[in-house]
Amino acid sequence: MTHIDPVGALRAMLMIRAFEDALARRKEHGFQLLSSGEEAVAVGLVSALGTGDQLLTGGRSIGPALARGVAPERVMAELLGKSGGMNQGRAGRGHMSDPQAGFFGAHAVVGGNISIAAGVAMARQLDGDGGIVAILFGDGACGAGALHETLNMAAQWKLPILFVCNNNQLSVSTARDAALAVANLSDLGATFGMWARTVDGLDVQGVAAAAHDAVRHVRDGLGPAFLECTSIRLRSHSTTARETRSRAELAELQTHCPIRRHAAALQADGTLDDAQLEQMRQDAATDIAHAMAYAEASPYPTAQEALRHVV
Amino acid sequence: MLYEQKPAMARMFFREAVTRAVREEMTLDPHVLILGQDVGAFGGSYREFDGLYKIFGPDRIRDTPVAEAATIGIAAGAAAAGYRPLVSITYMDFLMLGFDALINYAAKLRYKTAGGLSAPMVVKTTAGAQGQGVAHSQCIEAWLMSVPGLRVVAPSTPADAYGLMKTALRCDGPVVYIDHKRLFPTPGDTPVTETLVPFGKACIRRDGSDVTVVSHGYMMRVALDAAQIVAQDGISCDVIDLRSLAPLDIDTVAGSVERTGRLLTLEEGQVVCGVGTEVAIQTFERTGPKPWTRIGALPAPVSSNPVLEAACIPDAPRVADAIRALLAR
Repeated sequence: MTHIDPVGALRAMLMIRAFEDALARRKEHGFQLLSSGEEAVAVGLVSALGTGDQLLTGGRSIGPALARGVAPERVMAELLGKSGGMNQGRAGRGHMSDPQAGFFGAHAVVGGNISIAAGVAMARQLDGDGGIVAILFGDGACGAGALHETLNMAAQWKLPILFVCNNNQLSVSTARDAALAVANLSDLGATFGMWARTVDGLDVQGVAAAAHDAVRHVRDGLGPAFLECTSIRLRSHSTTARETRSRAELAELQTHCPIRRHAAALQADGTLDDAQLEQMRQDAATDIAHAMAYAEASPYPTAQEALRHVV
Repeated sequence: MLYEQKPAMARMFFREAVTRAVREEMTLDPHVLILGQDVGAFGGSYREFDGLYKIFGPDRIRDTPVAEAATIGIAAGAAAAGYRPLVSITYMDFLMLGFDALINYAAKLRYKTAGGLSAPMVVKTTAGAQGQGVAHSQCIEAWLMSVPGLRVVAPSTPADAYGLMKTALRCDGPVVYIDHKRLFPTPGDTPVTETLVPFGKACIRRDGSDVTVVSHGYMMRVALDAAQIVAQDGISCDVIDLRSLAPLDIDTVAGSVERTGRLLTLEEGQVVCGVGTEVAIQTFERTGPKPWTRIGALPAPVSSNPVLEAACIPDAPRVADAIRALLAR
């Protein structure tokens, strides 16, 4: 059984990649946390969420926000500090939000948004509206005390929350195996009696299937779930961080690219031919060019705005 | 009119005034919740939530594990999603464990969402020395006063404990509400009818003309005792209770200093970058420089050793000496 429209999933992943490439190509792109190599996690996860659900993330939030359906031009404007951004350009990378779109927001302190998400889940539980919350964080957050405290309380209170670890296997330069003692990161959830699974985060259909199972568990009131998606990071930690891997390593990683893999599968089973795939790439580039044009045309806030909305 | 009309008052302990405010607000607004260690059937470490669990039950009053970081984070998330949680942090020293959610998230949420979201939550915590040692005695309110987006209040009387808590539970952003261990068993009159104490309004507790004494929390009692002592020397103190540390009511302090020409600030925390230093500089920006003395804890940890603790924390005779020295300048 398919949990995700395969062509739609490819379109969403191509859009995220085109967005991040365009942002990285811009001369003044600022400090950005890109997620190339992790698109299948965002797109697969979001396919399992409904309109009444909320998604929260750590700082690496561009892919998840776009996958959730936040308008690309508003995300681009926000990242560039422009008034047309979803938060009028004042949140910027790592802190943007659009609750109306089901994206409750990012909080770029590693591990910091996990307990916030549990609070949003507690509100859903008290409201009894059937909505659930998904919190996406990296392997870097798995050593943080806030995660362990929150896992315990979420399990104890049976909060409607899905913990999703996007394990890209690197915390800036520190390898996951050098930082975390557990065998699988999903074991962290299992310890607290949660539904827990580790899946290949480069396989968008596999992520989607696991996310649907996890969401059903959470929505049925059976308590929280913990889904680990093992992925790769094709770029350095941030647009200002030194790359620590060799060219050869990075070239090898490209062969695991989740978009390439999914596109190849769709070509192999006859769903798409070369021309159709090329058309999809061009469509994504065109859409993102429009988003960039909107962001470029949008004004910066005035300096007087610095004191607005403080208290 | 034959008799002056005064509001009817009821005598109650400080801790009972807190309970009353929370009970009233929980009754009025079903979105008010309590989270914290031992807040349920136990009634709070200082019995400041006595009886509430029986009325409001386990959904709205939740005992938490020893997990201050996640508890404040969960409260902030619930607040952002429409609730009004009160988090009880037993000792102010432990507030440090929850600074990320409080300072990096809750205090910045309104700003970073351009007013779209806010975190209406109250972190109620207890400051001050009472024989419990270096990590259970601190007064770190001055750290919090510099955080944009955070409000900080510190009542010294049962009436203000009641009125400030009610305002805090209706406030649209995060509030740190600081009580003091030594204040819980103190009695005082509180209005019988529902009364709110606004934030940003100091209160003159004693009128005087020679020197302005500014303090907050438990140190107000020390300030008033010191004013009584120096009154015997003919020194008249204008004693101001700040009540609200962020926002600060500099109008009231500056007005007093214009009259008296001298300022003494008193706090139980450290004087370096302290409440008194901030009050003084903001006052002198209005009045021009005036003779000023600041008093606070010695620059040392506060021990549970009774001799060392007493040595560290200001008391009325020391404050009285400082007032005399300021007058002699």
